[in-house]
Amino acid sequence: MKKQVKVVLLAMVLLCLGGLLFAQGEKAVGVTGAGAAANLEASLKVDTSVLKAADGQPLLRLSSELPKIPTRPANPEALPDTDPLRWFDMEYAGWDTKKTNIPASPKDGAIGKRVVMIVHGDHPWTTACSNGAKKVADAYGMDLKILSPNWDLAVQNQMIDQSINERPDMILIIPLDATTAIQQARRINQSGIPFIFFNTLPTAEAMNYAITWTGPDDFGQMRKLAKVFADEMRRRNPGAKELGIAYVQHAPGGSPYFARSYGPLSELAGYAPEVVTLDMQAPGFEADRTMQLVSDWLTRFGPRLKGIFAADDSAQALGIIEALKKAGRDDIVVVAAGNSKIGMDMVTDGSLFAITYQTAEGDGALAVQTAADWFNGKELPNRRDIPQHIITKADVADFYPPQW
Amino acid sequence: MMRKNKLDKSKLLALGDRFRIYILFGVIFIFMSLFAPRFFNSYNLTTILRTVSMNATIALGFTIVMICGEMDLSIGRTATFAAVIALTLQKKFGYGISVPIAVLAGAGVGLLNGILVAKIKINSFIVTIGTMTILQGATYTITGGNSVSLSGDKVFAISDFLAKPLLPMLPPRVLLTILFVVVFHLFVSNSQWGRNFYMVGGNRTTAWLAGINTDRITITAFILSSTMAAVAGILFAMESSAATLNMGDNSLMYVVSATIIGGTAMSGGKGGILRSVVAVLSLEMLYTGTILFGFGNEVKIFISGLILALVVLYEAYASYKHEKTIGQRAVLLEELAQAKEKI
Amino acid sequence: MNGIQKVDTRALQTNRFSKLLSSIGIYAIAALFIVLGVVLQSMGIINNFLTTQNMMNIVDAVALLGIVAVGMAFITYSGHYADLSAPTTIALTGIVSVELLRFGFIPAIMGAVVVGLIIGIINGIVIGKFKANPIIWTLAMSYVSMGVIRFVWVNKQIYPDVITDDPFPVMLFDNIYRFRFFNAISLPLIIMLVLVVVGQFILKRTAFGAQLKLTGSAKRTAKFSGINVELMIALAFIISAFTTTIAGLAITSLSRVGAYYNGAGYDFRAVTAIVIGGMTLAGGRGSIIGVLGGTLVIGLMNNIMTLLGVGTFSQDIIRGAIFILVVGINAKTLRSMGRDDA
Repeated sequence: MKKQVKVVLLAMVLLCLGGLLFAQGEKAVGVTGAGAAANLEASLKVDTSVLKAADGQPLLRLSSELPKIPTRPANPEALPDTDPLRWFDMEYAGWDTKKTNIPASPKDGAIGKRVVMIVHGDHPWTTACSNGAKKVADAYGMDLKILSPNWDLAVQNQMIDQSINERPDMILIIPLDATTAIQQARRINQSGIPFIFFNTLPTAEAMNYAITWTGPDDFGQMRKLAKVFADEMRRRNPGAKELGIAYVQHAPGGSPYFARSYGPLSELAGYAPEVVTLDMQAPGFEADRTMQLVSDWLTRFGPRLKGIFAADDSAQALGIIEALKKAGRDDIVVVAAGNSKIGMDMVTDGSLFAITYQTAEGDGALAVQTAADWFNGKELPNRRDIPQHIITKADVADFYPPQW
Repeated sequence: MMRKNKLDKSKLLALGDRFRIYILFGVIFIFMSLFAPRFFNSYNLTTILRTVSMNATIALGFTIVMICGEMDLSIGRTATFAAVIALTLQKKFGYGISVPIAVLAGAGVGLLNGILVAKIKINSFIVTIGTMTILQGATYTITGGNSVSLSGDKVFAISDFLAKPLLPMLPPRVLLTILFVVVFHLFVSNSQWGRNFYMVGGNRTTAWLAGINTDRITITAFILSSTMAAVAGILFAMESSAATLNMGDNSLMYVVSATIIGGTAMSGGKGGILRSVVAVLSLEMLYTGTILFGFGNEVKIFISGLILALVVLYEAYASYKHEKTIGQRAVLLEELAQAKEKI
Repeated sequence: MNGIQKVDTRALQTNRFSKLLSSIGIYAIAALFIVLGVVLQSMGIINNFLTTQNMMNIVDAVALLGIVAVGMAFITYSGHYADLSAPTTIALTGIVSVELLRFGFIPAIMGAVVVGLIIGIINGIVIGKFKANPIIWTLAMSYVSMGVIRFVWVNKQIYPDVITDDPFPVMLFDNIYRFRFFNAISLPLIIMLVLVVVGQFILKRTAFGAQLKLTGSAKRTAKFSGINVELMIALAFIISAFTTTIAGLAITSLSRVGAYYNGAGYDFRAVTAIVIGGMTLAGGRGSIIGVLGGTLVIGLMNNIMTLLGVGTFSQDIIRGAIFILVVGINAKTLRSMGRDDA
């Protein structure tokens, strides 16, 4: 009725008035003068290299050498899938950036700084990541707040807005998606708050607005894993002219989907041309669906199938192993991206041949450490990759107890 | 005089029942403003309005479908589908062409749903589960498994325009949403079409016997639902200048919960547009409050369940009382009540 | 005048043929898929379709789904759509059983069953006695359960072999899913078949089944004819929670971890299997054998598509389309037989 419309309009007017009257925000607290110098000195003395993750491995491992970046082809999308350079934009995002409007470091030390960390969602991995972040934050005496949008993009945007409102000294963020990261980056950048992306690579464009990115080099790890994978298949099938493999893919809509299937695919095209891709499917992260998929693959391909490359070393890997056990095919080489407890258990008993080391704690810790380095005024590279490592039966015992 | 008091009390209760969602809204707003840190300032309220825009728009169409007594579970996936089409085609044709095509695609989904429900007479729960699955596959196929992103000054200009407040606390996307709300509300509560939705939902056979073209009403409801979902998704994607493959998935349960809490019943024939929108706002304020208080996501999930449960129990209680009075004449009841008093 | 009695010939049609068709209806579709597979095999497009190994794979893959669907079918039969709290019940019973594994295998199973029954009883009372809307109530229940899981276990997942040092209960638990009779027939498959037989018996041959049928098709009539409708509905939800608990134990055993994400998606998948199998959402029609058929059809569909090499994305489109098609044909044939309530 007209009356209700009037009520709505009245509410709108009231809202606008309220907005004009109540414009508020919080101001950042800064340390100045002599306090700043003392803070800087103390925070430079903090030694985080002795910190350990739950699995006994060092929490922070930084590789000092920068990888060799090939030149970007003019149009990567036109290249065939088997060409590694086809995936240039996803793999090498961030190395070559045009930094825009990045705030300068106040160079007054990391102690007491307020840092907001926005992760992607609730998951045991994220719990481990937060633990690692807290360890470094505690070492520096930083005030770390961790927010989780539970995989909801609208909520993550809201959390970004709320954080901007609070004006912390630094924002660390795992973008839920590489593409939407652009607008998120622009918004934080426009507010003048320094921020660092971590764990999930955003598009190259988004990197222009961030200080830097830290995290695992998914493509790089997968390429390494692919080589180990091919070597083992060659060892088990000496002299074979064709090695058929299949990919159990990550959920679509994100760089792991591509990194963990097309990464190894483009690597093997050059490294082991006798490897033939028989099929690629994305059954989700459920063991029973993966089991049916692999059983059907065995029915379809039979002895042609020599290896399976999985994007997940827990539920997917379990399904794969169950299917292989049922069919009695223990000759098939299975590798996966890791590293959960379930995956490591399977490497220990030999059903999984190799997994990648994806330290959750190290991921969060490196992000906070990079923030501290920035507060200390250190010069930061455009990207900081966590060093890669492939876990096999030989060294899997070193990685217990598992982080998650 | 005692009789008059009784009448007042029951009238008050009836009013309270109709406007309970507004009361809930008021309670939540006042509570959060007083106790939640950093809640009552223009920045936070603007953020809430922006976050709410997508689900509120979807709720507009979904409420109409619910009023007709049907369910549309495909709204989330339709939003994603339309957003993906709009952005993918923008690269070749620009927003001017890609947005109308995407809206038409959304309407097409609604048409399909409507025909399957009205003409083939399959239960809407089933049909929309099916279209949900089909849309997921279609969206993945269009993008090849990746999300869609756009960049460039023109695109960013549009996205900035949608996001920055034009009037204080009201950015253009929110203004558009308010416009849609007003239009839909007037449409549903004042026009003949609107009344027909209620009649079809209340008792389909009677509506048909009264000469309403129930098939056409049902199909229109589904078209409206899918179109508004498409519009919501497109606007959200335009503001982010990107569309992810699962952006709409959370909207389904959010909108369903909000519509139920707002007073629209699944049996149909009851409910209203404004109530659903106010319910969406109330839920969003509640969730924002939990984030500001520093609670984890488990609190948010638990509260959603609790509120939904309370609303369902309340509805059940109300219909239980209603059932008790079926077939009983009001005058006799009053006489009985008066007789009891005298004793 | 003794009027010429008009005989409704549609009623006469519902004798042998249509009864047969509506009861084996889903198996006709299953047979169709099998024939399709055989044809494709003979054309050389796919291989090894009609082998025991392949058929065993199919039933193995859908055994868990079948267990959930058999129980939920009772709810659908009673006209109450579905139980959307199934996924969180799976997760909750699973994580509770792993947590209790420290006290032994039997306490773990008992604990899970108790939790499942509690959920079923709550659902049953609220929907049966208070007549809440089943979809919304079970949705609310799933949120509350999920909130409880996340609150108590704080986003951690727990592992059987970490919870207890004693390897014996861990091995027993692990074998819930993995144990095979004669090295071929898995325990979940046996459980599913037993549940199908028992469920069919209950549905078609007991008084409870008959009363449930009347409750589903004409609730008020059932009430006025003295059936305790509230009890029927409550029992239907308890049965569903019970089978969901069994599935929860099996899924958690397979995943070797108690986590909040176990069981995701099982609600819609079970509804799909039930409805494809011939049960209508309006209630009072269908059979457990039909549900088994629906489950098998889903397995066959996935199998043939993978053997053909259909891409993941296209599989979704085909699955959705076939679902609508099968249900549509079912609805149309029912309607042409004069039953408008499909």
